[in-house]
Amino acid sequence: MTPIPSRTVLSRRNLLGLGLGTAAAGLLAGCAVPGSTNVNKAALVPAAAGGETVQITYWAWLKDLQKVCDVWNAKNPRIQVTANWIPGGNAGGYQKMYSALAAGGGPDIGQVEFRQIPEFMLANGLVDLARYGAKDVQSKYDEAAWSQVEFVDGVYGIPQDTGPMGFYYQTAILEQAGGQPPTTWDEWRDLADKVRGTGNGNYLEVFPVADASPFAAYAQQAGARWFRTDGDAWVVDMTDDKTMMVAEFFDGVIDDKLVDTSAGAYSPGWYAAAASGKIAAVTSASWGDALIQSVQGGEGKWKVAPMQTWGGTGYGSSSIGGSTAAVLANAKHPAEALEFITWMTTSKEGVDAMIKYCGIGWSPAKDYIGKARQQPSEWFSGQNYNEEVFVPSAQEQNLEWSWSPVTQSAFTSLQNQFRRKLTGGLKLTDAVELAQREIVQSFKDKGLSVRTAR
Amino acid sequence: MTATQPGSGFRTSTKATSAQKRAPWILLAPFLALFVLTFIIPIISALFQSFTTVDREGLFGEDGVTGRFAGFDNYVTALNDAGFVGSIWRMLLFGIVQVPVMIVLCTILALLLESASARWPAFFRAVYFMPYGVPGVIATILWSFLYVPGLSPIVSLLQSMGLQPDFLGANSVLWSIANIVTWTYTGYNMLIIVAQLKSIPGEVYEAAKMDGAGPFQVAWRIQIPLIAPALVLTTVFSIIGTLQLFAEPQILSTVAPAIDTEYTPNYAAYTNAFAFNEYGVASAQAVIIALAAFILSFAFLALTNRAPKNERDQKKRAKRDGLEARRALQTRGTSATGSRPATGVADRSTTTGAAPRLQADSKGAEA
Repeated sequence: MTPIPSRTVLSRRNLLGLGLGTAAAGLLAGCAVPGSTNVNKAALVPAAAGGETVQITYWAWLKDLQKVCDVWNAKNPRIQVTANWIPGGNAGGYQKMYSALAAGGGPDIGQVEFRQIPEFMLANGLVDLARYGAKDVQSKYDEAAWSQVEFVDGVYGIPQDTGPMGFYYQTAILEQAGGQPPTTWDEWRDLADKVRGTGNGNYLEVFPVADASPFAAYAQQAGARWFRTDGDAWVVDMTDDKTMMVAEFFDGVIDDKLVDTSAGAYSPGWYAAAASGKIAAVTSASWGDALIQSVQGGEGKWKVAPMQTWGGTGYGSSSIGGSTAAVLANAKHPAEALEFITWMTTSKEGVDAMIKYCGIGWSPAKDYIGKARQQPSEWFSGQNYNEEVFVPSAQEQNLEWSWSPVTQSAFTSLQNQFRRKLTGGLKLTDAVELAQREIVQSFKDKGLSVRTAR
Repeated sequence: MTATQPGSGFRTSTKATSAQKRAPWILLAPFLALFVLTFIIPIISALFQSFTTVDREGLFGEDGVTGRFAGFDNYVTALNDAGFVGSIWRMLLFGIVQVPVMIVLCTILALLLESASARWPAFFRAVYFMPYGVPGVIATILWSFLYVPGLSPIVSLLQSMGLQPDFLGANSVLWSIANIVTWTYTGYNMLIIVAQLKSIPGEVYEAAKMDGAGPFQVAWRIQIPLIAPALVLTTVFSIIGTLQLFAEPQILSTVAPAIDTEYTPNYAAYTNAFAFNEYGVASAQAVIIALAAFILSFAFLALTNRAPKNERDQKKRAKRDGLEARRALQTRGTSATGSRPATGVADRSTTTGAAPRLQADSKGAEA
């Protein structure tokens, strides 16, 4: 080590100090909290003048979305839409949108899942489309889908696809077990027992402890309402009778080893098990059809039945996932963006293109499910399952259900507690209660006022 | 230092070097600009954010959002989070087991490759290093196919032998991750050690052979002591790497239900920042991770850099001698040349080149 002459040490310190000082000054200058300005309190962005060509960008993780935009662009030279692909939601897409918003930029339209809308509102990231006439097009959409985008009298996204649920099953395995597709969850449990009897390692379904979406969907079906608002405060109600009933039911099912808890549906292990007949069925959303078609050698072996219900209580079906096309806060042309989105999600041309190129989930358009979905499917044993199962399913939804601004932490808390069912034998009923405590804390950490219902 | 004229000559020479002193900074500027932009500023920004929080009015903050200084609130939140603290303990356990295993393994590999009887050392060196070329994410995906029952030939083989292995269970998945990490980094660490081994001069081996040392004695008494700096370096890197573990558990969590979003400290910080938008708490966690890595690395360095007792005594003696020498020189210098500034001499006395002459001088002075 050669020591540096003292003069140089000083100048290096000076330089470092200068650098730190500049950096700190820059930070302090830009230290306004991202998302603290509310675009919906500002003046409306006027529609472009007659002769002007408007350029709109749409960030989404749908594949080949540009082809849908091209259909529109060809007919609407005045409004030209460019699609940019981003990673799916939490895999990086949201992070990208959040940082673009924080930097004061971003696209006109972004793909945002229903359950994520309140979280984007919390970041002041969405334009209230009611101010641009979204309520005039409300009648074109499924009621259940629309109920998920309305908050405090505003409309914060336009439904693009939804996920009404059904029961997918392998006909041969159910026959071998001597069972029918279940109409209630009790029948489902009996069927699970019968399938267990057909061989070691054979299960009717999986119950993923690491993904709380199915559990939330089951509770939603039973009639739970985890999040509601009361004045300026949020009310969290996850320990209601309905949720407790669902948690208790699955506690019993897991304790009796009637479900496989090692991994979730559509994971590599699940595909292997489904292909070899070790998994007989999956209760999943309408978009599950495309995923199930990736089960090797499954063609002609699967069918779809209406989702099993909770008997006397709750709703006929439930839903998982689904997304909206939301206009982001820094959009330059909200009015034109809304025009395009309405065409994309409700016109026959738009819906067919979205199904053909992007393979979207269930179309939220009220009276058109898409041409491709009006025909029987070869793969699903020639069954016309879309019209048979999912058209009614989309109507039998829990309209009271609403998401919250802490969806992500809510799911994470639930999942982390559910995992303890496997690692420490914690009961799901207790896990839900523990998760609720963490979720209430997340509300507080966000600076929101909150209380529990009981 | 060449003084052209007595007195003023010293000053001219510093002026001439000031341009030379600027040169490295100009040449370093592109690097420094990027370093400050992508390293220093984000670190300061994280430090700054770790002390802030936000308040919101209304259901979604639509009636106003205000940021404020939060003191150590975020740190309290982070340290009160049992999951986060648990993840730090988990990583300590991981490090205590995985780092020694890997260091021993890579040392053995390096010694084997550098031993006289090694066949095709270049080929095997490349083979052992190859896993490091596979990105961590890809490596984890590859390994996950060897862990998942129903896909893995290893699991099928063990099952056919009557065993029921569960590589992804609550108690085993940590070691499945350790296996991936060891597989990836052993070759890399081996290369560092090989480089150090190659720098050992041949005469040392010759001398050892003349003294009748066998291959094991050469390894134990010659090579291992001489590669100690490389071992320390790889261990410190591994300790830091352990605390930063992220990609492997994150990818494996899709097939292993036992991995939650707070499985490792970095995963917890990531979840807070990008899933919850809780940048304050996430920054506090990141700072805590950095501090922990800092403390652990320095504790390890302090432990290994402690010289043996006789050497420490020697150093103390040398320091005392040096001081005496400088004092002696100063008194002699001022009396002899008068105008010569003492600082210049002090400067020179610290450079290694001047030391032997000074020592000789001091001896002369004492005599």
